[in-house]
Amino acid sequence: MQNVSPKKKTSSPPRQGFGLLYNPFEEFKTFQVTKTEIPLDRIVQSTEQVMDQIRLGYEKLLEEEAKELVWMVQYNTIIKAYEVAEKYIREIDYSAEDIEDFCFALENTHRIPYLIPGPAGIYISALCNYAKEEELVLKLSELKTEINLIGFRLPKGKRLKVEGDTGDFTGIGLEGGELEVEGNAKNWTGAGMRSGRILVKKNIGLHTGEWMMGGEIYVGGRVRGLGNIVEGKVYERDKLVYPGKARYPNLYY
Amino acid sequence: MEEKRLQTLIEEMWPRLKKKHLYPEIPIPKVGRVIDSFDEKSDQEDSNQRVGLEMKEKQMTINPAFIASMKDKMSEENLIEALLDHGITHYTFCPWDFQTHLMLYAEAKKVLGDKESAKRAANYFIDVIADTHCVKMRETEIPELHRNLKKGNVEKVIASLYQRIWGIDMGLTPSQFESRQNEEVVRRLARIPYLDRSRWTESIRKFARSLKPLLILEEKEKESRGGGKGDSNPQGEHNLNHYSYEEIDEGLREYAQKTMGLSEFREVVEDFSSELKEMGYGIEAGMGRGRGAPIDADILFYMKLAEHYSIPLKKIPMEEAGTLHPHSHSPWEVGSPFQDIDVWTSFGKIMPGITQVWKKREGKGRGKVEEAPDCLIIIDSSGSMINPRKSLSYAVLGAACATNAYLKNDSKVAVYNFSDAPMGGREILDYTENKNEIYRTLCRYFGGGTALDLEDMMPLIKKEKKVDLFIITDMKITNLETLIGFFGKIQNRITAVHIGENPYASRFEKAVEKKKNINIFTVKKKEDIPHIVLGSIRQYFNTMQNNHSA
Repeated sequence: MQNVSPKKKTSSPPRQGFGLLYNPFEEFKTFQVTKTEIPLDRIVQSTEQVMDQIRLGYEKLLEEEAKELVWMVQYNTIIKAYEVAEKYIREIDYSAEDIEDFCFALENTHRIPYLIPGPAGIYISALCNYAKEEELVLKLSELKTEINLIGFRLPKGKRLKVEGDTGDFTGIGLEGGELEVEGNAKNWTGAGMRSGRILVKKNIGLHTGEWMMGGEIYVGGRVRGLGNIVEGKVYERDKLVYPGKARYPNLYY
Repeated sequence: MEEKRLQTLIEEMWPRLKKKHLYPEIPIPKVGRVIDSFDEKSDQEDSNQRVGLEMKEKQMTINPAFIASMKDKMSEENLIEALLDHGITHYTFCPWDFQTHLMLYAEAKKVLGDKESAKRAANYFIDVIADTHCVKMRETEIPELHRNLKKGNVEKVIASLYQRIWGIDMGLTPSQFESRQNEEVVRRLARIPYLDRSRWTESIRKFARSLKPLLILEEKEKESRGGGKGDSNPQGEHNLNHYSYEEIDEGLREYAQKTMGLSEFREVVEDFSSELKEMGYGIEAGMGRGRGAPIDADILFYMKLAEHYSIPLKKIPMEEAGTLHPHSHSPWEVGSPFQDIDVWTSFGKIMPGITQVWKKREGKGRGKVEEAPDCLIIIDSSGSMINPRKSLSYAVLGAACATNAYLKNDSKVAVYNFSDAPMGGREILDYTENKNEIYRTLCRYFGGGTALDLEDMMPLIKKEKKVDLFIITDMKITNLETLIGFFGKIQNRITAVHIGENPYASRFEKAVEKKKNINIFTVKKKEDIPHIVLGSIRQYFNTMQNNHSA
């Protein structure tokens, strides 16, 4: 019986015909795939880590503030939720793109199981307010959900631009920041804002500027209804609608 | 002469390249003239300088004019290696198959809304993945190639992205890349996990979203230049030419199954209609001239989806003049009966394209052989049924599966599609083997009242000696009693499928429960469809056999 040593097989070229056995995978013995470490690996890894931290903060906020997965929009619940959100966000080092990714992750149930609009909006607002960048752009036009409470307490010196529509309570309690919405905003926009500027490029809903204490709201489209405004200015298509000709709150016009 | 020299060079390089890419099943690349499909009207010489690689059904072709135009910038060997590395990676990593290509395009279209922009975004995405995979996993000259390519605005952004994610200098000067908007786009693009296949759906959306302003700008510039299809990709265009007919067929089947959405499928098919027509879809049998019929995406959807479900069909003894014997071979298709497979010529494999079945012919002598009879499909398209052209109709899908089962057993199928038949709300198709015609009749929707006209059906039943009946309805038929009475009189095998539960279906079930030639199935979800067994009436089958032997 003839034994053919592996060494002989590797040294000889591939044989034609059926005379001798040849292992076609012999070459793989010495073949090595060279995997290079590229910066993309590091970027993706750190992005994932930041996203995990942001997600964890949101889950803790829900645990503390929306135990029954029900959350009522009230003055004290908003303040409380914001304080909790601040507590977790302060520890995270993130960028504007991370906030945008989080907004999209909220719609992906595999990644974040619960999207509760109130706390989610408060949390996103806190993320914006504590971001390193002075100017933030959130490209949310492909988002299926309109985020409520976005721009809450946006401080002076910060500029937030949202591409897409926003939900109820947009820019409430604004504290001198500049909020720009490229699409529509729903009801109670700018409620309780103290100072700053809100620009809504399309239409705005009811109760606009309810208990507004100062600042300006500019609307490129139509204002569906004004709230009980204390002080401040509201413009509709460059025309001052408050203060001005008496307009009853929440009337459709 | 020049082409011969380059071909020799490729032949020398090919074993090394194959080894580098772990021996992909790709034929040796050729050298030949490459015509830019994106801009065929433009000057040929110019287009030759723009496209370096063409890929058609796994055959890669290197453009010698492109190699010549890059002679001063890169060595021939490095340039060819970079182009082939890129081409091979399309087959071995991204997009890999036609279904992935369709999925990436469909997701990009959801974000961009426009067909051309979506195609471009998907192509850029596929290229970024392929090149990044190559740079990470293999030793390649792709970065050098990108450094030397002529760049438009989007290409500059992509090059800057490469610089960031590969950590290799792409030779971009600050003046080339000073726009703040572009910088922001690159920052967003760099965060995408390109090499994570499981996240490509999510990643392409983000990619398209980030690139959207640049793609819009590019479209505007193109319009201001007076139209055309814009600059071509030097690394080769990504279109349906990449794939064989079988790959496209499989891709459409998988995509229909994955989306299960008629509108989504229709949109994609319509966007690729010109390419699909070139591949032979929507072309009716027969000769002639003209543009041909447009592809009916709805029919294609049900066709592809039905290929996923195989309904077993029980044959019955049919009187024939002689016995059948194996005569010749024909290719086996998925869903065709297994019993006729010739294992010897199929190399022991069950695989479309390899496996062969025996075609049988009638020989001399007398006897009875088992065969599948022809089938009359009675389908309800009244207002209570789902419109198959608006959303997925289980009735049409079930009928389509039954059609496939009979056609694959060499039987013919007739269709009686009814709504308010006595008032003219019906369509009748005589026994045929023409799959397109059958599907077209099945997909017809009347949306009116529900009444059968037995006078219409009788000729179809009497025409054939032994015919199976397959009725699919929700049983909300105004003259249900007439139908029950009719079914009580005939001896044909009847498969009755009702969609959902209701009192009418219960009434029908109760009325025909003693009839052994009638089998009833309920379809509540698509998974119930394979449970339908056509002509599965054991008692009836046995009786027939006993009678025959007597």
